[in-house]
Amino acid sequence: MNGQSGFLNNKKRVITHLLPALAVTMLLVGYGLWSAIAQSFQTIEGEWTFASYVQLFNSHTFFHSLKLTFRVAILSTLLALMIGLIMTRMLYQFFKNSSSKILVWIPILIPHFVAGYLVYLFFSQSGLFSSLFYQLGLLDQRSDFPILVQEEFGIGMILTYVWKEVPFVILMLLPVYYEIDHRYGEVVRTLGGNKWDAFKTVEFPWLLPVIVETSVILVAFIASAFEIPYLLGVTRPEMLPVRAYEWFYDGDWSKRPLAFSAMILPGVLALLLAMLCIGAVQQHRLRMVKGRGR
Amino acid sequence: MRFVFTRLGKRELVTSLMVVIFIAFFILPFVVVTLKSFSVGWRFPELLPQAYSLNGWQSIFRDPSLRESIVTTLMVGLYVVLLNLLLSLPAAKILSICSFKGKSIIEIALLSPILIPGMLLAMGLQFTMIRFGLADQILGVVLVHLIPTLPYAIRIMRAGYERLGTSLGEQASVLGAGPYLRFFTISLPLLLPSIRSLMLLTFVISLGQYALTAIIGGGNVMTLSLLYYPYFSSSNEAVIAGFSILFALLPLLFIGGVEIVLRLVIRAVNRV
Amino acid sequence: MKIKFMFCMLALFFIVACANKDINTSSKEDVLTKDWNEIAKTSKGTEVNLFMWGGDEGINQYIDEWAKPQLKEEYGITLKRQPMNTEEFMQKLLTEKKANKRNGTIDVIWINGANFKNAKQADLLFGSFSQKLPNFQKYIGTDNQIALFDQGTKIDGLEAPWGNVQYVFHYNSTHIDNPPSSLEELKKWIQDHPGKFTYPNVSDFTGNTFVKHLLVKGTGEKSALMAEEYNKEVIQSGEKYVWNYLKEIKPDLWREGETYPESLTKLDTLYSQGEVWMTMGFNEARAESLIENGTFPKSTKSFVLEDPGSISNTHYLSIPFNSPNPEGAMTVINFLESPEAQIAKMDPTLWGEGTVLNFNMLNKMDQKQIKKINRGDSVLSAELLSNNKLPDLDTGYTEWINNEWAKRILEQ
Repeated sequence: MNGQSGFLNNKKRVITHLLPALAVTMLLVGYGLWSAIAQSFQTIEGEWTFASYVQLFNSHTFFHSLKLTFRVAILSTLLALMIGLIMTRMLYQFFKNSSSKILVWIPILIPHFVAGYLVYLFFSQSGLFSSLFYQLGLLDQRSDFPILVQEEFGIGMILTYVWKEVPFVILMLLPVYYEIDHRYGEVVRTLGGNKWDAFKTVEFPWLLPVIVETSVILVAFIASAFEIPYLLGVTRPEMLPVRAYEWFYDGDWSKRPLAFSAMILPGVLALLLAMLCIGAVQQHRLRMVKGRGR
Repeated sequence: MRFVFTRLGKRELVTSLMVVIFIAFFILPFVVVTLKSFSVGWRFPELLPQAYSLNGWQSIFRDPSLRESIVTTLMVGLYVVLLNLLLSLPAAKILSICSFKGKSIIEIALLSPILIPGMLLAMGLQFTMIRFGLADQILGVVLVHLIPTLPYAIRIMRAGYERLGTSLGEQASVLGAGPYLRFFTISLPLLLPSIRSLMLLTFVISLGQYALTAIIGGGNVMTLSLLYYPYFSSSNEAVIAGFSILFALLPLLFIGGVEIVLRLVIRAVNRV
Repeated sequence: MKIKFMFCMLALFFIVACANKDINTSSKEDVLTKDWNEIAKTSKGTEVNLFMWGGDEGINQYIDEWAKPQLKEEYGITLKRQPMNTEEFMQKLLTEKKANKRNGTIDVIWINGANFKNAKQADLLFGSFSQKLPNFQKYIGTDNQIALFDQGTKIDGLEAPWGNVQYVFHYNSTHIDNPPSSLEELKKWIQDHPGKFTYPNVSDFTGNTFVKHLLVKGTGEKSALMAEEYNKEVIQSGEKYVWNYLKEIKPDLWREGETYPESLTKLDTLYSQGEVWMTMGFNEARAESLIENGTFPKSTKSFVLEDPGSISNTHYLSIPFNSPNPEGAMTVINFLESPEAQIAKMDPTLWGEGTVLNFNMLNKMDQKQIKKINRGDSVLSAELLSNNKLPDLDTGYTEWINNEWAKRILEQ
């Protein structure tokens, strides 16, 4: 900044600029979360109890669900990141001076539950791909088509999330790609490095913070979204959000504390994950920005 | 074939391949949904619908709340977008150029709304919103829509500011430009791509919120998703498909309108 | 500057927000002691908000295009239909109760069964109003079974019957010539046609009711008793049959019973795609509109299991505790229970569901009109349906099936 004289002024500026956003966020999240936590410890009659957490931790189905939930979330995120990264790398020049960028926006324009419906339309045993293969004579009957939706591994869900999130990844990465000074890449190559070396030494350090941030957002989002698992999941093991939703809206209101705690746990996990990751790349990020200012 | 391959460079080949993939993945689904909205009983193993009708669209346009809900949706979306801009611009600027103690804690705090399940927050907030008299009102809905949007808004603007760097602003400052002039003549034009992304993304997210809108808006704030979501538990796929198209068109309409306004503003600013 | 402006705006938000507009118009007791003419008179020119699930075009059209104009013309009431899932407006009412919000936004709700039980227990309903309604007195009567119990919960006048539907199975007549007529025949059919049958997950009401039929059979048809109370001994006598039956059919179900459709909608989709050959559900006439819009094949027909019978289900209209316009709400409910409204509701191009009015209490004209209605080819005759009618069971059984099914069937 403007040297030491600007320090105090700077501090005041930090506070005034950040406060509105921070206050709104903390009010909404703080109030909401506090109230939700309170309700997870309370029966519907208002008595305080740990019962819901005890019940969750003693339940095998809960851990199965937790495992499935995070497996789907992490796999989808990794795939989306990889595909998004490759596409960004290949296409950032193309995007720079063309209006075709709007194409990438299409999956973003479509709500998640519609995306799930699309995957069902294309990939179920009665879906369009199954029809196509049948018409081509590759299938004798539709039950020969591999089961891709509503099966235990969560392929259908992963497909949906990848399709929906790749554009998001591209959106997050594109600005970074424009920022990278690609002459360094040429330097690496003239010094005898291959493409991978160029990527590793020039692009990756720039990308790392964004990749970490994007993946934290995606994992947290997927672990708590309800619509797609409801549309494309199996009855058991079910994804955690579906479980929680059923408890919420079960005829029996005594299960509501369970629903709250079943959603608080993945939320807390995601928060911890975020703290770890973002804290770790913080220093890295600062170095980059400072280096550029000079 | 070979002739074509040799004529095209490797780079062009890759690019055109990617374009084909893009069309297959991003355009085809859209075409299929459009077809579906006009189809009657499209079943395995038919590759194309055997019969077409306007029934799905008729059911949609027959709904007397459709117009009201589109207006409400656009209004909520507009407020959400504006609030997001107001809140995220200063925060993103500071986050992109300053370093201070506890910055990563603040970053996580700002990100926390999307790390915690939205439905949980909505359920928790409902009580408070009723107490403050914000439930069942557009204002309350706009406020809760900040939960899933503000973190993205800050993120996008921050990337924009990082790309901008500080040097240009500093130069202008040295030359004696005030903060407003600096913002309108230097930052704003350079931030435009980010602002566009922000508007589209926050609008789309706000549009897609069902649980938050239903719980806080209590059915009084009737947005399109409130009207549409129940149809998802009907088996009339033409209606579902039709609504899906409406859903995708609304953000385009919004962004088109905003683009016109933006251009006018820029022209006005440039003239000054 | 910008910051200050923003703070002002935020502050303004909260000031506007905190201005409490909680003016209670009239107290509960007042309304319930008024006589009907007075209620009808005060409701003139008011607005009534009806909150109901909005996922069926036929139902929506019945309200929007038939009921709304009639109410406007006859009573000067503006009816507003607000589409919202039952769980969500229940949640809204529960929280409003906790927050002590006495002037709400909902006047009429569409509920039954477990939701009614919860609402009654949490004291979310306005009060005992149904016997005030002239049409209820005239055509249903306070000692009618459907006015006494809603799935085992005593109604106490807190809700008024709106519609009555029966559980039927639908099948594709191009694949099946003679549909099964008993549970045993159904089992044999499933085993002869592996992969062509399934039922929804029991967390879905339709799937749950399928299992209830087995329970009724297993307990030796004590459905009248089971409609009024939850009884563990009754369950003990019938549970063996239920779980054995489900285990025996499991390997021959769609996807070998590894997974089940999460909701009736999904089962319907499987049926419409031809993956399975049967679907099921409440409302004996529900296939009509689905055939018309092309979702179901034209060859769809329906059947009931004569052994043990077909469970019926009544759904109700009620008034929440904080309704801003209870008089208007009562007038609307009374209107929706009138013969003309109930007969219009039976029209298969609108809703097509059964009436709650007692046929013998109607006048000759209305009786004739009901007999004249052609409910469609996929709907069974009124005699066959009423001969096999069973009451719905206590919600305790729903819970029991919900809790046990996963352990006994799914995780085996």
